[in-house]
Amino acid sequence: MTTATVTVTIHEAPDVIQPRQHGKPGGLLRYCNFVTALILGIVLAALAYWITGMFTTGEALNANFVPIGINVQITAMYVGWVVGFMIGIGAFVGPIRWFLGRDLTHADAEYLAGRGQGRMKFWKYTTDHKIVGIQYLIVSMALLGFGGLLAMLIRTELGVTWAELFNPNFYNSIIGTHGIVMIIAMIVVVSGPLGNFIVPIMVGARDMAFPRLNALSIWLLVAAIPPLASNLALGGLRDGWTVYQPLADQAPVGMIGYQITIITFGFSTAIASVNLMTTIVKMRAKGMTWSRVPIFVYGIFASSLMGLIWFPMYQYSQWFALSDRVINTSFYVPAQGGSVWLYENLFWLLGHPEVYVIVLPGVAALLELMVVFLRKPLFSYKFAVAGIFGIVGLSAVVWVHHMYMTGWAPSSNYPFMLSTEMISIPISFLVLVMLGTMWRARPWTRLPMMAVYAVVWNKVIGGITGVFLSDVPVDQYMHGSMFVVAHFHYMLMGAGLFSAMAAIAYWFPKMTGRYLDNRWGSIGFWVAFGGFQLTFLSMFAAGLQGMPRRVLQFDSLFNVSNWISTIGAYIIGIGMLIFLAAVINSWRSGEIAPANPYGAKTLEAQVPTPVPPENFAVLPVITSDPYGYGSPDPYELEDEARRAALEGGEPAKVGAS
Amino acid sequence: MTIDQRPPTAEEGPEEPTNRPTPMHLFRNWLKRRYAKRLIWLTLIISAGWIAATFLAVYFMNMSGGPASAIMSEIELTMYVLAWVCAPLMGVTLAIALYSMIGGWGRVKGDKQPDQDGPGIRNNSIATIGWAVWVSALAAFLVVWGLVELANIQAFANGSVAANQQPNSQQSITVNVTGQQWVWTFAYPDQNKVTTDVLVVPINTPIYFNVTSKDVVHSFWVVEMGVKIDANPGAITNTGFTATKLGTFNIRCAELCGLHHAYMETQVKVVTQDEYNSWVRENGGVRLS
Ligand SMILES: [Cu+2]
Repeated sequence: MTTATVTVTIHEAPDVIQPRQHGKPGGLLRYCNFVTALILGIVLAALAYWITGMFTTGEALNANFVPIGINVQITAMYVGWVVGFMIGIGAFVGPIRWFLGRDLTHADAEYLAGRGQGRMKFWKYTTDHKIVGIQYLIVSMALLGFGGLLAMLIRTELGVTWAELFNPNFYNSIIGTHGIVMIIAMIVVVSGPLGNFIVPIMVGARDMAFPRLNALSIWLLVAAIPPLASNLALGGLRDGWTVYQPLADQAPVGMIGYQITIITFGFSTAIASVNLMTTIVKMRAKGMTWSRVPIFVYGIFASSLMGLIWFPMYQYSQWFALSDRVINTSFYVPAQGGSVWLYENLFWLLGHPEVYVIVLPGVAALLELMVVFLRKPLFSYKFAVAGIFGIVGLSAVVWVHHMYMTGWAPSSNYPFMLSTEMISIPISFLVLVMLGTMWRARPWTRLPMMAVYAVVWNKVIGGITGVFLSDVPVDQYMHGSMFVVAHFHYMLMGAGLFSAMAAIAYWFPKMTGRYLDNRWGSIGFWVAFGGFQLTFLSMFAAGLQGMPRRVLQFDSLFNVSNWISTIGAYIIGIGMLIFLAAVINSWRSGEIAPANPYGAKTLEAQVPTPVPPENFAVLPVITSDPYGYGSPDPYELEDEARRAALEGGEPAKVGAS
Repeated sequence: MTIDQRPPTAEEGPEEPTNRPTPMHLFRNWLKRRYAKRLIWLTLIISAGWIAATFLAVYFMNMSGGPASAIMSEIELTMYVLAWVCAPLMGVTLAIALYSMIGGWGRVKGDKQPDQDGPGIRNNSIATIGWAVWVSALAAFLVVWGLVELANIQAFANGSVAANQQPNSQQSITVNVTGQQWVWTFAYPDQNKVTTDVLVVPINTPIYFNVTSKDVVHSFWVVEMGVKIDANPGAITNTGFTATKLGTFNIRCAELCGLHHAYMETQVKVVTQDEYNSWVRENGGVRLS
C-alpha cells in the first residue's frame, strides 16, 4: 500500500483536568489474573450450588419427568462459575471505577495494555489488540485440539465395526461435544487471532475501537468453555451439536453446560463483532476509502455482521431450552402448546449463516495472501466485494433448507430451494476472483499459496455436493445421512480450517517475529490434506449407500467405507500433529523474519516486527488500494494499441513498459 | 469494441477502413496461446472424470437394491442432471487451479521474494460478466429443474400419479407410522387396524403414510424408496410412495433420537397383491376393497 507520512501536531490544552491517579497504575487489576479468576469462579460456583440446594427439593419433576431441583442447582453453579471467573479476571473493575468516577489515567491505560509485564500479560485482562490476538490463537488451537481428539474417538468407534467400544451415552456425547467445540473453534479461529491482531494494523488504527471490550470478549470465551467440557462428567451431551428438542429435555444435566456455554459465547461473539465492525468503520487510516480497504477486512466485517445479527437467534433457542428445563416453561413441549419446529427454526436461523461466518474470513484471507504470492493485483476487487455482500444478504433467507424433511411447511421447500441455489451465484464470484488472480501468474510456492490450491479443490467438492443437497428431491435421500456429514466437513474443515491454517502460516512472521517452518508446515498440511480426502470422500460413499449419521453400529454394507474413513482420520491426526509441532517449534526457535517477509503492500507489512505499542509512530495516509502489483500486460498493451489505432488517437506503443 | 454508427464529424476525422478483427478472429488468436489449448483439454478431462464419478455415486446408491420406487428413480435422474450441468463449471475451475499449481504459467521456488511481477490484470469485463451470466443461467436451470422435480415427487408421494406416470386407478393404502424410542410401529387403519413392526406393502399400489412420534423427533427413512419425513411429537406429517420392485428394503431412523438411535431400523417387504391379501388375513385384518 502506498503510504505518505504526515506529521501530526497534537494540540494539548493545558488546562484540561487530567484524571487523578489512585494508588499504583492499574489499581485492582494488578491483583487479577487467570489464577484468581479460576479460584473465584470455582468458589462462586460451589457457593451457588450449595445455596440453591437449600431452597430446592430434589423430588419435583418437570413436564419431561426430569427432576427440577438438580437442574436449578447446576444452572446456578454454571452461572456462578461464569460470574466468578469474570470478577476474578477483573472484568468488573472498569465499570466500578467508572461508577466511582475514577477515570483511567494514562498510567492506568498503559498498565491495562500490558506494558512492562513480561509474559504475565497473556494471563491477564489485557487490552492491547496484539495480546488479545495471541490469546485467541492459543484458545482456538486448544479448542481444535480437543475437538480433534474427540473426532479420533468417533472414528475409532466407527472403524471398529465388529464391536461397541463406547456405550451409546458416551458415544452420543462425544459426537455432540465434537460438533459444538469445533463450531466454536472455527468461528473464532480466523476472526479471533487475525481479526484482532492484524485487522487494526491493516486499517491503520492504533488499537481496536473498544480495547476493554476486546479483553472482555476473549475472557468470556475462556469462561464459556469449561461448562461445555464438563458436560462429559455430568451425564453428557448426548444429542448432537444441534440438541434438538424434546430430546435435549430428556438429557442429563450436562445439557445445561451446553446451554450456558452458548449463551455466554453469544455475548462474547456479539461484543467481538461490534468491536471489529466499529474499528473497521470508524478507525481506518486517512485516505482508506471503501474501495481501498483490503479484501480480508471485508471478509472479517461480513463475518462479524452475520454473527451479530444471527447469533441472538441461537442464544434465544438456548434461553428457551434452559427455561423449559428449569422454570417449566413450554416453548418446545408439544403437549403444552410448544413446538419442536420453533426450536429448529431458531437454531437454523443462526445455524446456516454460521457456515459463512466461519468460511468467509478464511476465504477472504486467501484472497488477501494469494496476491502476494502470485505478484498480481486481486482480480476484480469489486466482484469480490459484491460476492461477499451477496452471501451476507442471501444467508438470511436460506435456513429452512436444513428443515426440508421436517414436514414443518412442505410448501416452503419451493422458495427455500430457490434462495439456496441462488447463493451459489455470489459464492461463484469469489471463485472467479481466485481463478482470475491465478490466471497467467507465476506462483511463489510457499505454504500459504499452495494451501490456496488445496482449498479450491475442497471448495469445489463441498460446493457441488452442496448443490445436490440444496435440491429437495435429492436431499430427500441425503438428509440425515453421512453424505451431509462429509459435505459440511468439506466446507467447514476443507475450506474453513485449511484456509485458517494458510492464514496463520502467512501472518505467523508478523505475530511471532519468526517464519513458520515452510518444510515441516507443508508436510503437516499435505499429510492432513491427503487424509482428509480419504476420510471424507469415502464418507460420501457411505452416505450414498444409505448410512445415517450419528450411529455407532450399522449395516455391514458400510464397513469398507468406514474402515477407509477411519484410516484417513488417523492420517489427518498425524498431519495436524506435524503442523502443530512445526508451529510450536517455529514459534520458539524459527528463523527470524523481517518486517515484510513476503513483500506485501498492506499496512501490517509496513510496520516493524515486533509491532511497536500503538502500531504506528505516525498514522499513515493511504493513496491507493494494496494491490498495485504487476507489470503491464503485454497482451493488453497490444489490444490498447489496436484500439488506439482504430480510434485514430495515439499511435501504438506495443512493448512499452 | 462497439461500432460507432455516427457519421464522422470534423473533429473525429474520416472513419478508418473496417479492418477491425471479428470476435471469432480474436478467439482464434487466443487459442493460439500455448496455455489456452492445454486449459481446454484439462477442462474436458476433469469434466469427463466428474461425469464418470456420478455413475459411481448412483452405483453406490443402488447397492442395497434400489431404486424401488418412481421417487427414487427421479432422485437418481436428478443426481445425473445436477452433476452434468455443473460439470463444465467444475472442470474450468479445477483446470485453471491445477494448471497454475503445476506451474503451467511458470513458478518460483525458494525463500526469496520473486523479483518479477505477473501481468497487472485488474479486471476483465468479458470474464466477469460472462461468468455471472453463465453461473446465473446455470442456477436458474437448476432451480427450475428442482421445482418441477419436487412437484413430481410430491405427486408420486400423494399417490395421484403411478410409477408409469398415468393417473392412478389403484386404491391407495394408508399406513399410520409411529416412531418411539427406538422402534417403528405401522398400523393399517383400512385393514381393521393391523399393527406390525415390519412394513408390508403390495407392489404398484400407492401407499400413504401419516407419520408421528410418541416422544422425540425421529425421521422415517425408507432408503431404497427415496422417501424421508420427520416423525414429530404433537404433529402428523405425510409422505408416500408406490413400490415398483419386489423385495425387502431398509427403513432407518435418520434423526438422532437418543441412546439406541443406531438400532432404530426395520424393513419394508414389497410383495404381490395376493401375498399382501393373505398377509392381511393372517394378521386378522380385512381387505376393504
Ligand atoms: Cu429415531
